Amino acid sequence: MRREILEEAERSRRHLSSIFNDDPEVVIADRRYGFISGVCKKVVKRPPTERIALSDKIDQVVLHRTLGIPIFLLLMWLMFKFTFAVSEPPMGWVEEGIGWLGDKIGGLLPEGSMIQSLVVDGIFGGLGSVLVFVPLIFTLFFCIAILEDSGYMARAAFVMDRFMYKIGLHGRSFIPMLLGFGCNIPGIMACRTIEQERDRLVTILVNPFMSCSARLPVYLLLIGAFFPQKGSTMLFLLYLIGIGVAILMAKVLRRYLLPGPPSPFVMELPPYRVPTLRGVIIHMWERGVLFLRKAGTVIFGVCLFMWFLTSFPWNPQYNKDYEGLIEEAQKAFQLEVTSVAEDLAVAPQQLETHEGFSAFLAVQKEFDARVEGLEEESREAEAASRWRQKQLARLRQSYPGIYPLFLKYMEAKTKRDERIRDLERERAAEKMQRSYAGALGRAIEPIVKPLGFNWKIGVSLVGGILAKEAVVGVLGTLYAVGEEAEAPLRQRLINDTWPNGSRVFTPLVAFSLMIFTLLYAPCVAAIAVIYKETNSWKWPMFALFYTTAIAWIAAFVVYQGGRVLGI
Amino acid sequence: MDKKILVALAGNPNSGKTTIFNNLTGARQHVGNWPGVTVEKKEGTLRWGDYLLRFVDLPGTYSLSAHSIDELIARNFVVEERPDVVVDIVDASNLERNLYLALQFMELEAKLAIALNMMDVAESRGFRIDVQGLEKFLGVPVVPTVATKKIGMEELIRAIIATASGSGKIGVKIDYGEEIETELRKIEDLIRKEPSLSKYPPRWLALKLLKGDQEVKKLFEGGEG
Repeated sequence: MRREILEEAERSRRHLSSIFNDDPEVVIADRRYGFISGVCKKVVKRPPTERIALSDKIDQVVLHRTLGIPIFLLLMWLMFKFTFAVSEPPMGWVEEGIGWLGDKIGGLLPEGSMIQSLVVDGIFGGLGSVLVFVPLIFTLFFCIAILEDSGYMARAAFVMDRFMYKIGLHGRSFIPMLLGFGCNIPGIMACRTIEQERDRLVTILVNPFMSCSARLPVYLLLIGAFFPQKGSTMLFLLYLIGIGVAILMAKVLRRYLLPGPPSPFVMELPPYRVPTLRGVIIHMWERGVLFLRKAGTVIFGVCLFMWFLTSFPWNPQYNKDYEGLIEEAQKAFQLEVTSVAEDLAVAPQQLETHEGFSAFLAVQKEFDARVEGLEEESREAEAASRWRQKQLARLRQSYPGIYPLFLKYMEAKTKRDERIRDLERERAAEKMQRSYAGALGRAIEPIVKPLGFNWKIGVSLVGGILAKEAVVGVLGTLYAVGEEAEAPLRQRLINDTWPNGSRVFTPLVAFSLMIFTLLYAPCVAAIAVIYKETNSWKWPMFALFYTTAIAWIAAFVVYQGGRVLGI
Repeated sequence: MDKKILVALAGNPNSGKTTIFNNLTGARQHVGNWPGVTVEKKEGTLRWGDYLLRFVDLPGTYSLSAHSIDELIARNFVVEERPDVVVDIVDASNLERNLYLALQFMELEAKLAIALNMMDVAESRGFRIDVQGLEKFLGVPVVPTVATKKIGMEELIRAIIATASGSGKIGVKIDYGEEIETELRKIEDLIRKEPSLSKYPPRWLALKLLKGDQEVKKLFEGGEG
């Protein structure tokens, strides 16, 4: 029956088409517009000559052939500048607040317990690094809401349309790509404004190549260590490579995976309007809360998971008896204390209350308090050091016999402290090595070795899927080993060697690692957002694997190519 | 007991729809997605005397042909959920283009009320709109508003309640001319005989078939013989 109706309708369509010599759709639309224009003529009184509206005047400047793009870039630059300037202090507050809260709560929990580790390392350490970005994201959304509500965003897309069309994307793809430089999450979310599904998907899929701000710490660490002279050039190069790969992949995906005619871009240019504060705040709030909810829940889960990976097995079988060695160090120190006390003819317990000796200890205590939190070799630290020398010299005159004993005592104490610290670091490193994360690292080492990476880099890259900044954090934990632990992470990377004695990190490896970090897997929050935005697991999984594959190939070409060229 | 009214807010992009939605619902909003797609769905409520108005913000569209997801969502919502009132927010300074959507809602036989928004902009451009005249020609209530200054919101709420509880005027019927009307009647009669299509307005279905609308065609291509 339904089919008969359809056939009847098709007959009618053909019949009408032949009468009107046009598609019935067009005729129907014409009649509707005719009706409307008739109504409007009757009810609307127009001014005799319509003056050029203010909107049109602004458009003559903003949409200008040559001025349009510079004006747009300037506005974007101002927006980023404003966002970073405004959100920097609150980001500091959030960071401090979370650190303070983590300390307080950690202090309430039993020292060294599993629950303390979970709360301090897992929850505050991981989640805190995400919450820090909240002020930045709200400020950015605030600015974007203003640009949108005023009607400018539509113009920006209009201005960029020709360029974007050439690279196989849509005019409206431009804003999401731009946002990707800040963070891929708002970038991917902004793809909602792209009406055509194919264009939207491609823009989502290439967005992770836009180098987000979370990747900056990784670049800064490696550039600082291996390209100190060419910092800004390297950084600029990395951003360019990201853009280049995005353009290339957009073309490839559009051609082979999601082929179809480019969608016509009929740009609606709404009249300019002064945005209302209420509207802007509501827009900002809606998106900001979505970010918190989507990214927050996922990141929370993965933080717990990464904590589990790095913390378990909780009590592994160690190579060395760390507890015993620490106790030995304590005993050795006690022996020294006893010998000092004997020289002063007091019991070891009374050493700290001995009249002359306690005066030296008081100076040392005051000095320790003064330098706490100061940077080594800073002016304040030097001043404190001079003060200590002066005080000690004064005491030396009063108690010439005690001074050498004090030095002996201090030497023993420093030795003990360093020994215990080294042992604890070594234990932490061994624990990490024996943890599931360590096992994972060894499992992936064969995969990353052709790129010049060792297992530690491999694990840090796995951690980086949680959030790209985590690459630096995980490297920091993994490299917290042994006698060089005092040196900055930069130095420790430079000093690390393979078992055969050759250096792990060379400028070539560092570059390969930066390329890999730039291109590989979107972070979990971005993956979650891609899932939300496409409503299927197909696309986030595809994004995860194809970006990682490209990253691997690119890093492989860089590393192996560099070796062949003898770099 | 509260009397519940389901209101769909529709309108062209940039007609001030979101501002009106915010004015009417304030903080009582809920953001989600439309089922199966990733277009944002905003809902909000307003208590007004004995009435509980639930507003659903439809995507901004210029028409209801199924060319984009947004248009399809707006259309399906009106067809499937049959809201008690559809409020079409119309940019008074751009009346001709905006009324196209209103006509389509009338053809969907939705209970329509029109918010003639941005009256201030229209006036500043020198337009004078005869609101009563417009109401008469269209056959639906028309309320002048300035959403950014919250002018006309109360009148709009009253019009919504009156429309919801009223006899349900469905607005003017456009005469498409003898040739098209003849074909429309033929198809309409066939549609009326098919009980499984009773939830769709027959004239609307017939028009869509004549226009060759792909989504509507799917309804007829499906199984039952």
